[in-house]
Amino acid sequence: MSLTAEKRGLKPLIFIGVTAAIFVAAVVSICVGKYQISPAEIINILSGKADVSDMSRKVFFTLRLPRTIMAVMAGTGLGIAGSVYQIIFKNPLASPDIIGVAGGANLGAAVAIVTISSSGMLGIATGAFWGGLLAVTCVMLLVKATGSTSTSTFVLAGIIINAVSKAVIMALKYFADPENELAAIEYWSMGTFGTTTQSKLLSILPMFLIGLIGILLLRRQIELMSLSDNESRALGVRLRPIRITVLLLSTLLVSSIISITGLISFAGLIAPHISRLMLKRNNSVTMVMSGLVGSFVVLVADIFARIAYSSELPISILTTVIGVPILVYFLVKRGKELV
Amino acid sequence: MSELFRLENMHVAYGSNEVVRGVNLSLERGEFSALLGLNGSGKTTILHAACGFLPMRGTCICAGQNCAGLHEKKRALLMSFIPQVCSLEGGRTVFEVVMMGFNAHLRLLESPSAEQKELGMAALEKLNCAHLAHTDFGALSQGQRQIVILARCIVQDAPVMLLDEPDSALDFLNRHMVLGKIRDLIKNENRAGLITLHDPNFAMAYCDRLLLLQNGIVGAELDMRTASADEVKQKLSLIYGDIELLPYQESYLMTKAK
Repeated sequence: MSLTAEKRGLKPLIFIGVTAAIFVAAVVSICVGKYQISPAEIINILSGKADVSDMSRKVFFTLRLPRTIMAVMAGTGLGIAGSVYQIIFKNPLASPDIIGVAGGANLGAAVAIVTISSSGMLGIATGAFWGGLLAVTCVMLLVKATGSTSTSTFVLAGIIINAVSKAVIMALKYFADPENELAAIEYWSMGTFGTTTQSKLLSILPMFLIGLIGILLLRRQIELMSLSDNESRALGVRLRPIRITVLLLSTLLVSSIISITGLISFAGLIAPHISRLMLKRNNSVTMVMSGLVGSFVVLVADIFARIAYSSELPISILTTVIGVPILVYFLVKRGKELV
Repeated sequence: MSELFRLENMHVAYGSNEVVRGVNLSLERGEFSALLGLNGSGKTTILHAACGFLPMRGTCICAGQNCAGLHEKKRALLMSFIPQVCSLEGGRTVFEVVMMGFNAHLRLLESPSAEQKELGMAALEKLNCAHLAHTDFGALSQGQRQIVILARCIVQDAPVMLLDEPDSALDFLNRHMVLGKIRDLIKNENRAGLITLHDPNFAMAYCDRLLLLQNGIVGAELDMRTASADEVKQKLSLIYGDIELLPYQESYLMTKAK
């Protein structure tokens, strides 16, 4: 018996619609900013025609293209990771911060800013990346020390590590030089795509892809982990090694993103909800859709970050401002359908 | 007949509270046995420990293999388990839920084959649920969910089936239907089944043996194929107190004496 795509919850029209929306948003994202590029110029640049100003070409390749690709990657990664966390922690409020990635990355960045600020943006990215990874490793070790395997232990360990990270960050802020260092720490925690460069993008690409592809390959196991621990084990899910693998893969994904952008709030939390409400399903298809929704939200947020005010706004303000109405719309729509 | 499942001297404790205190039992091929006992007598605990969810002392042997060193996947090929309530909320179709049963047979990154999908549909058809295949699991009643979980258990295809009140949310007719299907499955395919039940009437009607739990051990055993009416009444009253037993067809009906 063959299953139609519709019955599996694929809803091709929704997928085509969202993909088209992402494409349009990506084109707009390349066009807008202090220096405007027209869509015609993009076509000319891509087709290798000569009648494009050097300035446009330069802005396209060194600023807009890396920035737009980074926004797509960040939205996809955070959306998928958020979905994975909500599934395996069986908690609709779970987001990538829950097991300490964000807190650790924030601490890593703060340490880099205070100690090696002279080494510049790449040093901060490195600090943030390892900070995120280290925090999650601490969470895992803490869980191992308790001898418990339940998901709530992971959440509690995450809260502990997040709290410790926060305390150390506060201490660093207190002793930081308020003019430069304190401001840098604050700005980092609000996130921006303004500092994305091609070389940074390429340096995190392998980690990003390992995380993303790993998660997509393990999607069947991730779906099974939405059952209670006992039930998934009875079905033959090797809970301990698989949960740790999935958490490490998603940490790699999130860490590689926020090491470059700084913290991006809310996108990883709401994308899975929007995706679920759109598809009325909660399986691996929803996980992929969550990546697409995240990608769209972050792209649009980044566009407004550039045009909303005379100087560039932090991305986290806009992911929240743009994500909330979309979420409210789908919640209201679902409410009406239920009546 | 050959033995398929055995528990030797099983002890399970929650902290310092030992709930299971040396249970011994064994199941032959094609045998369907019930664990009976009052609330808190340790029925579910025994099944959970046998599945490896709880640490236990003693030995659990399944299809000739000692379960102690087995990881979840190997265990899932030997024994399937039906919980009292499925933990899954909606968001999946019934068919997707059934297909989860193939996990132990698939490699880590493998997806179910077309043939396995047909087997999944066949399992639903067997339980007269094929029409629900593309319904959202969350839209089903608790009883329908239990039937779907039984289909998942069929698909898992393990020689030993451990069932924790798989009938708790079923109506009278479905309870007979499901217990009948489970019994047929065990008889026709030479599996072994251990079920916990609350209603001794259903246990007497469908199971070969009743294992009566008291104080953390199997206090008495009844082989329904050979036991006399007096023996059945005497042993059941150990648990249920003052009872009346009426012979009915080839089995008995039990009720509380007034």
